[in-house]
Amino acid sequence: MKTDFNLIAYLIYLPVIVVLTWYVAHTLFKNSKVFMLDIFHGKADIANSTNTIFETGFYLLNLGFALLIMEISTELGSSRTLLETLSTKVGGFAIYLGVMLFFNLYLFFRGRRISKMRSNPPVITPPVFKA
Amino acid sequence: MNIAAYIIYLLLTGIITIKVGQVLFHHGRFYILSAMHGDETLTGVINKLLLTGYYLVNLGYAALMLRNWQTITTVTQLVSSVGTMTGRIVFSLAIMHYLNILWIALFGKQQQLFSHHKK
Repeated sequence: MKTDFNLIAYLIYLPVIVVLTWYVAHTLFKNSKVFMLDIFHGKADIANSTNTIFETGFYLLNLGFALLIMEISTELGSSRTLLETLSTKVGGFAIYLGVMLFFNLYLFFRGRRISKMRSNPPVITPPVFKA
Repeated sequence: MNIAAYIIYLLLTGIITIKVGQVLFHHGRFYILSAMHGDETLTGVINKLLLTGYYLVNLGYAALMLRNWQTITTVTQLVSSVGTMTGRIVFSLAIMHYLNILWIALFGKQQQLFSHHKK
């Protein structure tokens, strides 16, 4: 039987994306607790809940996307094409994951800014007109 | 081969759907509680109803996808089609999840607006 390079590609791709997503999510949401506590003024229960809900969403979105783009429609003839196709896929997914990471960070910073603005709104002094 | 694919696929989607449902059921309570101004019984009822609706929609959608599945002859095809189909389910779950967050946020904003008007 001829070696099926497509199957090998899938068997390499699947663990790589799972580990990659897990690592990014783990790092991001371990550190986001500080932001969440800041946003919700130290209320631990709602901060933890929000963190978990965002984490679930992150896993769902990224693993779902990774599985969606998994299919390799061409038949891989050699180990060279296998490596080329696989690196394109994994690299593209890694870039997408990086964009997602920064988007999440932006959301955290934005939430913190809005929460701070609400707790002490900026003081607007009326202009003084001189006669 | 198709039967094997269906079994793997249904197991995977079932586990993911139930797991995610439990997480959201547990952690979403605080939001509904604050939206309902601390009414515990109403929150419990709404939360249960939301969970049931979520299970029905997702498991139904997952089962519907079995209808137009291509014929599978090799292991490679099995892995790729199960992966893609599961990916589709998980991706749509994610989109529903974010829409729910958006909806709750908008609802919270509206409530704030109303309580502002009452003062």
